[in-house]
Amino acid sequence: MKHPAVKIFSMLFGVFYLAAFYFDLALFRYYPEARQFHWARTDGIGVVILWYGWIVTAALASAAVAIAVPRSIAERLPSRWVWAVTTVVVIAMLIYERRWFV
Amino acid sequence: MIVALLILHGLLAVALLGALTHQALSVVPTSATTRGRTFIDRFRGVNGPAYATPIVVLFVVTAIGGALLYPQYRIDVRPALEDTQNSAANGVFEIKEHLIAIGLGLLPAYWLVWRESIDATVASARRGLTWLLALFVWWSFIVGHVLNNIRGLLP
Repeated sequence: MKHPAVKIFSMLFGVFYLAAFYFDLALFRYYPEARQFHWARTDGIGVVILWYGWIVTAALASAAVAIAVPRSIAERLPSRWVWAVTTVVVIAMLIYERRWFV
Repeated sequence: MIVALLILHGLLAVALLGALTHQALSVVPTSATTRGRTFIDRFRGVNGPAYATPIVVLFVVTAIGGALLYPQYRIDVRPALEDTQNSAANGVFEIKEHLIAIGLGLLPAYWLVWRESIDATVASARRGLTWLLALFVWWSFIVGHVLNNIRGLLP
């Protein structure tokens, strides 16, 4: 791959997304009833949406690692790892989300 | 306004689903002797690389549409599902939002592997990434339609 940092970004995005979701690491929170964004948990203004914050957390974290990893190391990483790691992330997510169906 | 956005979101999803299904089948290995004989052969006999950029654009635009619709779902639909103890419906939607988020992260690598000249390594990466994205979009499409119609589907 000509741009190996992209490979790192895509490979790690799902990992960081899953971590952000599991450990509640949303960069920000959106309260749709109040139509307000907040950095921290804010009670009393209705339901909260964390999904936007998880995506931004994952994007920033994976971009930071992709930039930090030296090109020589990134080039050695096989391209198939991108979809293989993501497949493992999806399986882990599905195992966790079984909680809705029991 | 929200109904118009929901319809537009659905139409974009149809286009994305069709494009990704064509491309996902185009990377299925086939023998040269059977190529081009059946409807399935012709369905998958598309120029895969030409689909990559439109798929990325459609995926991003459809996801943005879904993100704009999400607050309405969170305020109106999800509490109704919780009130009726319909946790499975909430679960399948939760999986949909995870798959779309993970799919957004895959798009840069997906786009690049479809821009590169083909060899065995690139072919394997193309196949894996395209099938994953196709799986994500099929799941999201079906779940979106079922939840949109759930009041008519459930007794």
